[in-house]
Amino acid sequence: MLGHRGATAPPTVRAPARHVLKANGVSKKIDEAVLLLPTDVKLAAAQCVVLRGPNGSGKTTLLRILAGTMPPSKGEVTLDGLPVDEREDITRTAIAALIGAPATYRDLTLVDHLVLIDSTWGHARQKGASRPEQILELLQIDHLAERFPHELSSGQQQLFHLAMVLLRPASILILDEPEQRLDTDKRDLLVQILSDRKTDGAGLVIACHDPTMTEALADYIVDIRPA
Amino acid sequence: MTRAEKQQLHAVRAAILGNRPDTSLSDTLYPVYVAVIAAGAYGIPASQQLFRSLNEQWLATHVWTTSGAIVATMVTALLLTLVRLMGRVHGPVVPPLPYLDQVVASPMPRRVTLGRHWRLSLGGSIVGGLLIGLVGGAGLAIAGVTSSVMPLPGAAGGALLGLVVAELWLRGQVKSTPLGLRADSALPRGRRNALALLDITGLRRQAASNATIGGAVLAGDLRTARLDAVRPTTHARAARLKASGPLTVIARRDLLGLRRAPWSGIYGLGFAAAGSAALMASLQSPRTPTVAPLAAIIVCYLGFGAWCEGLRLHADNSGTSRLLGLAYRDTALAHLIVPMSAWVLSSVIVGAALIRTGQVRPSALVWAVGTGALLAGAHLMASFRGQPPIGVFGPRAGPPAMIFWYAKPLLATIVVGTATTAWAARAVTPWNAFFWMLILATCVGAWGLSLVGKRDRRS
Repeated sequence: MLGHRGATAPPTVRAPARHVLKANGVSKKIDEAVLLLPTDVKLAAAQCVVLRGPNGSGKTTLLRILAGTMPPSKGEVTLDGLPVDEREDITRTAIAALIGAPATYRDLTLVDHLVLIDSTWGHARQKGASRPEQILELLQIDHLAERFPHELSSGQQQLFHLAMVLLRPASILILDEPEQRLDTDKRDLLVQILSDRKTDGAGLVIACHDPTMTEALADYIVDIRPA
Repeated sequence: MTRAEKQQLHAVRAAILGNRPDTSLSDTLYPVYVAVIAAGAYGIPASQQLFRSLNEQWLATHVWTTSGAIVATMVTALLLTLVRLMGRVHGPVVPPLPYLDQVVASPMPRRVTLGRHWRLSLGGSIVGGLLIGLVGGAGLAIAGVTSSVMPLPGAAGGALLGLVVAELWLRGQVKSTPLGLRADSALPRGRRNALALLDITGLRRQAASNATIGGAVLAGDLRTARLDAVRPTTHARAARLKASGPLTVIARRDLLGLRRAPWSGIYGLGFAAAGSAALMASLQSPRTPTVAPLAAIIVCYLGFGAWCEGLRLHADNSGTSRLLGLAYRDTALAHLIVPMSAWVLSSVIVGAALIRTGQVRPSALVWAVGTGALLAGAHLMASFRGQPPIGVFGPRAGPPAMIFWYAKPLLATIVVGTATTAWAARAVTPWNAFFWMLILATCVGAWGLSLVGKRDRRS
C-alpha cells in the first residue's frame, strides 16, 4: 500500500452502477477558434481512459463536454445511450468531476465541507465509521481537518479538492490533471486510490501529463491533437 | 515639515510627474466644485421638500423630544464606531501601490510622504460634513421648521463632525497596522505621529484591496469585492458541522457560518430588531411621514442580508463542478431557512415587547413577520443577480446604469415595502395592504427564483 498509513477507503454506500460513457466525434468551436478537433472516447465500467496532449490541445474542453457542463459544437456524448447533461439528475449522480478548483465555503473547515457533501447525498444517517474523516485519512490530510480552505498550501488544496470529489458517490470520475502540485509520494498515493476505485468498478477519464501515472492507470490512451 | 524635507518631496513629485503638468490642485478642487453645485442644485431643494413633507405634530411628538435626542446621539455614535472600524479595512491614507513601494518605503519620514494623502482625506471629510450640515440646515430654514440662521450652525456642526470622522478613520487605520506597537518601540507615539506608525505591509494591503475592490465594483464582480473586503474566517475552528438530512445540513451550515462570523449575526440582529421596530411603529399613525417606513425597510434589508452569507456563497459556487447532492434551486431555498427563522424570531420578540408596552397593535407584528417574505425574495435577487449585462458598460450607460443594476433588489424592496406600509398606516384596516404586500412579495420572490434558474442553467 503506497503511503496508506493503514487507512482504509471510506465505506462504499452502494456498488457503483455500471455505466458506459461514449463520445462520438465531439468537437468544439467558438466563432473561428477551434478548441477541440473531432474526438472519440469510449469508457466502460472498471476502465481508465487517459487523455494526453500538449497544452491548449483541448483536453479540459473534452473533459467539460464529457461531464455535461459544456455542449459540443459537433458530435454527441451519451451515458448509457442518453445525452449527457449536467442538469439531469442521472448525469449528476453518475459523474463526479474535478475540472478546475471547486468553489468552497470559506467559513467551513475541511471536515465540515465533507460532512456537508456527505449529508446532501443522504449518507448522514449511515452507521459505522465517519466517511469524511476516513477520506481525509486516506489522502493523509486528516491533520488538516480543522483548517479553513484559505489556510492550505496549493498541494494541500489539491488533495482537499480530490477528497471532496472522491467522497461523493459516482460511477464515473472525470479528473483534470489530478496529479498537479502533488509531491512524488502523494502522486503514488493518488495512483493507488484511483486504481482501487477502478477495481471497485468505477470508470475513470483523466487528463494527465505524468507518464508514470498514465502507465499505472490507463487501459486506453487518447492522444488529443492540437487544433 | 522642514525645508529640506519639502524640497525632497518636491523632487519626488517632479520625478513622478515627468513632463506632465501638475494638475493636482485642479484635481482636488474639481470634486469640491461638483459637490457644492450638487448640494445647491439638488441637496437643498430635496432637503427642504423633505422637511416640508414631515408632519409638524409628528415631529413634535417623535423627533423634538428627549428620546429623539437620545436616538440621534446613539445613531451618531454608531456611525462614528463604524467609521473607526472602516479604517481597519480602508483607511484615509491609501496611496497607490507604486508610490508606496518607491517613495513611502524610502528612508523619508512617513509624515512627509503620507502627509498629502492624509490632508486630502481630512479636507474631503470636513468639506463633506460642512456641505451635509449646510444642506440640512438650509432645508430646515427654508421649510420654516427652524429659524433662518440654521444653515450657519448646521455647516459648523457638520464640519466639526467631518473632522471627528477623519480622526477616528485614521485611528482605525493605525490600530490595524500588522506590526502593532511594542512597548519597547522607539517610534514616537500620539496623534501627531499617527502617520509615522503606519507600516508598509498594512498600507500595501489596503492599497491592493483598494485596487481589487475598485476594479471588481466597476466590473460588477460583487463576489470579489465582498470577499476582499471581509477578512477570512478563523473563529470556532473546533466546532463541527453535524451530519444530518440534506436540507437540515444546509441550515446547520449557515448557523455554523454565523457562529464563525459572530459580528455578522450581531449586526444582523441589531439592524433587524431596529428595522422591524421602526416598521411596526410607522404603521401606528396616518400622520407618519413616508420617509419613516422607507428608512425602516432599508434597515430591515441590511439586517436580513447580514444573515444571508450562506445564500451568497452558494450563488458564488455556480459555474463550478457540483459536489452537493441537492438540486441547485433546493439548496438556494434551504439557505433561506436560517435568515427567515432569525427574522421571524427577532420580529416576534421585538413586536411582543412593543405590544406589551402599548406602542404598537398586534396587527403590526403580523405585518413585520410578513415583510420577511419580501426580504427573502429580495435577497434571492441580490445573491443571484450574476454579472451585469453588457449594456451597462456601454458608452451611453455610465455609472447610473451600473448603480441601478446593483440596486434593483433594494429598489424592489423599497418600492413594495414603503408603498404598502404607507398605505396600511393610512387605511382603516391594514389587511388589504397586507394582502397586496404578500402578492408583491411573491412576485419579488418569483423574480429571485428566475435568477436562480438562470444561474443554474449557466453552471
